[in-house]
Amino acid sequence: MENIVELKQVVKEYPLGKLTVRALSDINLTIEKGEFTVIAGPSGSGKTTLLNMVGCVDTPSSGSVTVRGQRIEQLGDRARTQLRLAELGFIFQTFNLIPDLTAAQNVEFPLLLQGTLTKKERQRRVAELFELVDLTPQIKQRPNELSGGQRQRVAIARALVTQPGIVLADEPTANLDSVTGLNIIDLMKDLNQKRQTTFIFSTHDQRVMQHAQRVIQIVDGCLSEGAPAS
Amino acid sequence: MSRLARFWMVVQLAFRNLYSAKGKNILVGFLMLFGTCLVVLGTSLLDSIEHSMAKSITASVAGHLQVYDKNARDDLALFGSGFMGQSDIGVIADFDRVKKALSQVPNVKAVVPMGTNMAEFYSSTLLDRTIESLRQALSAGQAQKAQAIAAKIRAMATMMEGEFNNRLQVLKNQSEVEKQLSDIRRVKSAAFWQDLETQPDRVIEFLDTRLAPLVDENDGYFMRYLGTDLQLFAQNFETFEMVHGQMIPPGRRGLLVNQKFYDDVVRNRVARVMAYLHQKLIENGETIADDPLLQNIVDRLVRQYRRITFQLQPDDARMLAKQLQAYLPGAQGPIEELVQEFLRVTDDNFQDRHRFFFANIAPKIRLYLFDIGDVVTIRSYTKSGYLKSVNVKVYGSFSFKGLEKSDLAGAFNLMDIITFRDLYGMMTQEKRAELQKIQAQIGLADIAADQAENALFGETDQPGEAVRANAQGFDEFADIDLKATTDNGKSLHDTTYDQADIDQGMALHAAIVLEDPTQLVASQRAIEQAIDQHQLGLQVVDWQTASGMVGQMVTLVRVILYVAILIIFLVALVIINNTMVMATMERSVEIGTIRAIGGQRAFVLTLFLIETLLLGTAAGFLGAGLGAGLVSYFGQVGIPAAHDVLVLLFSGPRLYPSFGLGNLIAGASVILGVSVLATFYPALIATRIQPVVAM
Ligand SMILES: Nc1ncnc2c1ncn2[C@@H]1O[C@H](COP(=O)(O)OP(=O)(O)O)[C@@H](O)[C@H]1O
Ligand SMILES: [Mg+2]
Repeated sequence: MENIVELKQVVKEYPLGKLTVRALSDINLTIEKGEFTVIAGPSGSGKTTLLNMVGCVDTPSSGSVTVRGQRIEQLGDRARTQLRLAELGFIFQTFNLIPDLTAAQNVEFPLLLQGTLTKKERQRRVAELFELVDLTPQIKQRPNELSGGQRQRVAIARALVTQPGIVLADEPTANLDSVTGLNIIDLMKDLNQKRQTTFIFSTHDQRVMQHAQRVIQIVDGCLSEGAPAS
Repeated sequence: MSRLARFWMVVQLAFRNLYSAKGKNILVGFLMLFGTCLVVLGTSLLDSIEHSMAKSITASVAGHLQVYDKNARDDLALFGSGFMGQSDIGVIADFDRVKKALSQVPNVKAVVPMGTNMAEFYSSTLLDRTIESLRQALSAGQAQKAQAIAAKIRAMATMMEGEFNNRLQVLKNQSEVEKQLSDIRRVKSAAFWQDLETQPDRVIEFLDTRLAPLVDENDGYFMRYLGTDLQLFAQNFETFEMVHGQMIPPGRRGLLVNQKFYDDVVRNRVARVMAYLHQKLIENGETIADDPLLQNIVDRLVRQYRRITFQLQPDDARMLAKQLQAYLPGAQGPIEELVQEFLRVTDDNFQDRHRFFFANIAPKIRLYLFDIGDVVTIRSYTKSGYLKSVNVKVYGSFSFKGLEKSDLAGAFNLMDIITFRDLYGMMTQEKRAELQKIQAQIGLADIAADQAENALFGETDQPGEAVRANAQGFDEFADIDLKATTDNGKSLHDTTYDQADIDQGMALHAAIVLEDPTQLVASQRAIEQAIDQHQLGLQVVDWQTASGMVGQMVTLVRVILYVAILIIFLVALVIINNTMVMATMERSVEIGTIRAIGGQRAFVLTLFLIETLLLGTAAGFLGAGLGAGLVSYFGQVGIPAAHDVLVLLFSGPRLYPSFGLGNLIAGASVILGVSVLATFYPALIATRIQPVVAM
């Protein structure tokens, strides 16, 4: 299989006053296309930092991060932004929908940034995704009119609308009740299987981990691979 | 297609952001609106002022352009430079050459010679005129009439005695006053008049030299006059209009007094104050009790009683005393006290006293220092510093239409340029030739210029010596005399001149009136070329520069307005900037999200700029509309000229401003510039927001 993400000897340090905090230390990680991977670990263990590397929103202090064959630490801001737009989908812990736009407009937003589809194509794509996340009736509503679970489903639709190779989700269920959270995980897994989209998400919730195909444990910035807990 | 869609998305986002941050945007929008309104209103007012000022200055005395000596020490300042003293703007020695050369420049309608100067003027007092009639009666051998006049003069001396006795009590230099008193008592005495038939000359001389000067009604009145080619002036200065009397006929010497000056300075002060108080109290409904300024005016009015008593013929004085005793219950004492009591006006009695004054007192006194048709003596220092006097007839009064109330424009009296040259002490070619003749005669080839001029004009501050100049054979000055004499057989004001005399002489500066004033700049350049070509040695300035302080004042007001606008916009800039930076911080997660899901920095920048432009445009439209509305409103009701300078600037008692497209564009562009500037920093911060903040 194709190695869609590859991290080699990745170190990330944050300056903290006179000290430096080592958030990631010597990470080596390879993720193949179509994987459904969970990054699990307690709070402060480095999950978000790791996802930021993979998501091209941050660069390592040392080591290399390769996403879809591109060494991201060698790219400039424009190119990394372009890479995010073309290859990555993001699902945020706090949903991060744009409050001024309707659900449909939020989902259409990345397509407009890409600027490759016609209006008709965009509308079809948006409708299709609302179907997929089972939210068609709410398509015209604004984020503040939706429940948490509905919002996260809009966010998932937004992350998938550009048909990215990788979807990253940092604790997507942390702000949801457990039933809704499990539904969201089911939805993601479903999409992973239907579309062969690579999913990487982080969580510290044991029940969520059970649904993962691959679980990567992270403690104090160090990885240890483990089979899904049963 | 999708580019447009993306743009609409940004616009929509911008709109929604504007709406969702209402508080901030109302504040920022209001600042922008206020600023735009101010720009539109301010620039419209200034443009309107400049327009009306252009009219009042160009159409009164300045013309569109002014030329004067290139090497002049001072700048030409028609309405005064704001500094004391006379400015030296050099001389145009040969106006004819200038007129001929510049008249040929296209778009030049007229070249009007001019010279401004200040002079003291004198008119005869009642005592002067009474002494003069005594002289006439004596020389005509009318002994009886002379006796009657003598009695009048004695009665006048009696009144003066009372007055000078009062002075003795308040003044410091008592010996001086005592000397004057003894002169007055001498005239009062019967012994003095016994010489009348035997030695009339001695009596007249004593009266002329000792008594007449004691009536100090004429102490130092100054007038500013403009010597010019009067016919040409009247044709080319649209706002010039006669009020009373007649225009000076072509070829005649004379003075046209400005109606404003005539009413303010020449008018009897008591009458003037009465008229002023009438306007304030009766027309405007103000009260003396509430206004310390009016209170002060009334206090000073009481002290002006001599302006009445000195003017009264003895019979009239007795009659007025009776009338006042009847009018003022319980009032006693001599006429001086009665008049003072009468002048002590209050809010309650003013209306009736005003009526009484004009019904019973005004007809008994001279209301003006001189009347239209009188001959006045004008005394001025010549260029070389000698005192020089001429007698001129006041043909009429005039005003500049729209500027009737302006002291600045009202200060200009008009005079024929021939008389102006006499007072200025400048030699005509004719006189130059004459001077050379004398020089040859007396064998002084290298006589100093000032001395020559002195010899020629006989200038001196002693009237007696001025007359002595006549002995040298210059007929033209035979009648120069400090006493106005209307019956002087061959008087200067009877001599005539022609157009050649006007043109072939000097001027201090010249006004150029254009056919098409919109071509002013081009014409100014063309005139500069003509000046170079003909080597005229002149400089040409536009009316605004030529008007001196007043012209600069509009520039000053403009600078003040611009500084005010600048400060307001700087403050606005800071406030807008701060609120935007704060708003940006609040939106950092949203912006980070946009960046994380693939929005470039340029997209964020566009979003911010469009937001600001939308707000700026809306505020700009409203502000410009409000400004335009205010200007239109003022254009309807007019802005009153609260100060004299404003009358000149407004070209009348009220300014009716209007706005042009330029004002709106100025307002709009300033606001957009400020908006973009104010957004620049927050937008920069926004583009620096890292996608990590969304994670
Ligand atoms: N911007 C930052 N500056 C300083 N320290 C940071 C920063 N981001 C994360 N860290 C530190 O790095 C470590 C890992 O953080 P994070 O990746 O957020 O953990 P997790 O997402 O597992 O809770 C923590 O100790 C955290 O305090
Ligand atoms: Mg985290």
